[in-house]
Amino acid sequence: MRQPVARFFIRVGALAAKEATHIRRDPRVLYLALGMPVVMLLLFGFGVSFDIDRIPLAVVDRDQSEASRRLVADFVASGDFVQGASLASEAEIEPLLRRGGAAAALVIPKGLSRDLARGEDVPVQVVFDGSDGMSTTQALARADAIAQAATMRIRREGGLSAAPPLRVSAWTRFNPTGRSAIYLVPGLMAYVLAMVSVLLTALTVAREWERGSMEQLFATPVGRLEIVVGKLLPYLGLGCLQVLLVLAMGAWVFDVPMRGSLFLLGVVAVLFMLGMLGQGLLVSVVTRNQMVATQGAMMSSMLPSMLLSGFLFPIENMPLPLRTVSAAIPARYFVHALRGILLKGNGIAEIWPDLLALSGFAALVVVVSTVRFQRRLA
Amino acid sequence: MNPPATAPDHAIVVEDLSRHYGPFRAVDRVSFHVERGEIFGWLGANGAGKSTTIRMLCGLLQPTSGDATVAGHRISRDPEGVKRSIGYMSQKFSLYLDLTVEANMEFFGGAYGIPRRPLRHRMEEIVGLTGLAEYRGATTGQLPGGIRQRLALGCAMLHRPEILFLDEPTAGVDPVSRRDFWRLIRRLAGEGTTVFVTTHYMDEAEYCARIGLMVDGHLVALDDPAGLKRVHVPGRVLDVRGEGLVAALPTAREVPGVMAAEPFGAGVHVRFDTGTCDDARVLGALREGGARVAGAEPVEATLEDVFLAVVARGKEWE
Repeated sequence: MRQPVARFFIRVGALAAKEATHIRRDPRVLYLALGMPVVMLLLFGFGVSFDIDRIPLAVVDRDQSEASRRLVADFVASGDFVQGASLASEAEIEPLLRRGGAAAALVIPKGLSRDLARGEDVPVQVVFDGSDGMSTTQALARADAIAQAATMRIRREGGLSAAPPLRVSAWTRFNPTGRSAIYLVPGLMAYVLAMVSVLLTALTVAREWERGSMEQLFATPVGRLEIVVGKLLPYLGLGCLQVLLVLAMGAWVFDVPMRGSLFLLGVVAVLFMLGMLGQGLLVSVVTRNQMVATQGAMMSSMLPSMLLSGFLFPIENMPLPLRTVSAAIPARYFVHALRGILLKGNGIAEIWPDLLALSGFAALVVVVSTVRFQRRLA
Repeated sequence: MNPPATAPDHAIVVEDLSRHYGPFRAVDRVSFHVERGEIFGWLGANGAGKSTTIRMLCGLLQPTSGDATVAGHRISRDPEGVKRSIGYMSQKFSLYLDLTVEANMEFFGGAYGIPRRPLRHRMEEIVGLTGLAEYRGATTGQLPGGIRQRLALGCAMLHRPEILFLDEPTAGVDPVSRRDFWRLIRRLAGEGTTVFVTTHYMDEAEYCARIGLMVDGHLVALDDPAGLKRVHVPGRVLDVRGEGLVAALPTAREVPGVMAAEPFGAGVHVRFDTGTCDDARVLGALREGGARVAGAEPVEATLEDVFLAVVARGKEWE
């Protein structure tokens, strides 16, 4: 039994060593793997910003009165916010934001209706998750506008000419200065890594088909799992370099903080890269042609990772069909985990669903590309 | 190491082997065997089904029907066993051009699961055998075709296969390198390796112990070179030089006993039955047809003559 295992490692080792030599000898691969992420990160990081709406709003209603319910209704009626969970206390806000259960929370103090009736100053709090993909400054302005409108209404209804304004005070958690780069860059990292990794492996198998070396390889006892693993390993190494490069750039160029565990980040990144490299392999195995493989790789990685990952457009705002599709996009989980670890300092307790999803995807693509690998000629 | 073949002296046994692509029969009900240690030539025009046959025998392509036993393994049931026992050099040049000579060998050695130390030892042997010592560190893409060919052969032999399958191994290689290459192949066969080789160079085919000739997916002739010539191009072949010979060929064909009269090189070849015809009658007919004969001498029939004769008979096997 020891011999077949030893042979497996000899074969995988030979394949990986050969692939590593290809990589070292091909400046285009190195540029694609290490140059492109840097260029894209700089272009996007400095060039992109965006707009928001439909922020999931958790509510801590300590007053539980007609007036407080009306105020919540005003926020929802604006279309900028959708009503989320009702919380019992402020203490529940932070864990909820951490989990991504809401992007903002409205805190209505006890005695709202009483104070309004007395004509006193009413402090209403809105807490924002500044790490999420929405411009907090804009959300803040909306919240303020809604409060102003509510004040006008209360004034009209009460017939009071000098009713005190509803004063909104906003706190931004996790990204106090509201800089867009901070939540943009983690998403961007995911996007860039996804695109480059899928492309890298998509080209490698297709190249062997075109050169005819695949036929030679099939005439040896090398198994398809051995080919898949042998091809993945060197690119995974390259992928880890990419991750480090992108993270370092995020930290130095865009001042993205690193609040969580670096180890956890590494695990998440490796799982994500494995899935993306595997996806590229699958594209390559199916297409067998560099031209088609390139297009397949771009289509299958670039658009979903850009549009459906939550990198640019919040997933909560998507119509149901798109939201459902996005559940199958690994970049979505990576973006979420990355933002959580980098910006919120999230640990395994919040990240595990992402880890699970990423492992599942990686296992799926590796298994499917192995099974789809035809070791015979058509 | 390997289970004994059904016929111990046969390296390859092919039974009714067919491969169809839709209505197209690339290989149609082919049967033959190859003996251990022989150089077996597999000849045919482009598209005759040579590569399809070799790919099936290497376990790369599943037959549509029929089967074959290669080195004791059934290609239909045990293609992996086949792959372990054979070396295959594909028609398309398929080494890695960006790797060095040594790195290519290391890779293919690893692909056959040879552990590091035995592999290093075997690589020394192969480098000596194929005369690649001075090129070990060279990038494969920068080497001339003849040397790459030897490297490809070397890579196919690292695991000491019982049978070597060579698909057009000398295509596009200069004549001197071709001769060296064949010297190597004969040496391997002398050491007991069975060599199954396809080629469309008829002069190379003369080196083969036996030859199978394929036309349109059918095996139409199988014998040693002398036997093929005896059966397919009997009689005496006269090589005639001069002027206006081609125009006179129809007249020569009228002569009783003349079996074939075709242009060949700068002159013509006329083949006739020595019982009913002789040199003088052939030359007389050519002169009668308007040719000026400058010289004539008898020549050995070549395998090219065999090939042309077989193909010219058309599709009578169907």
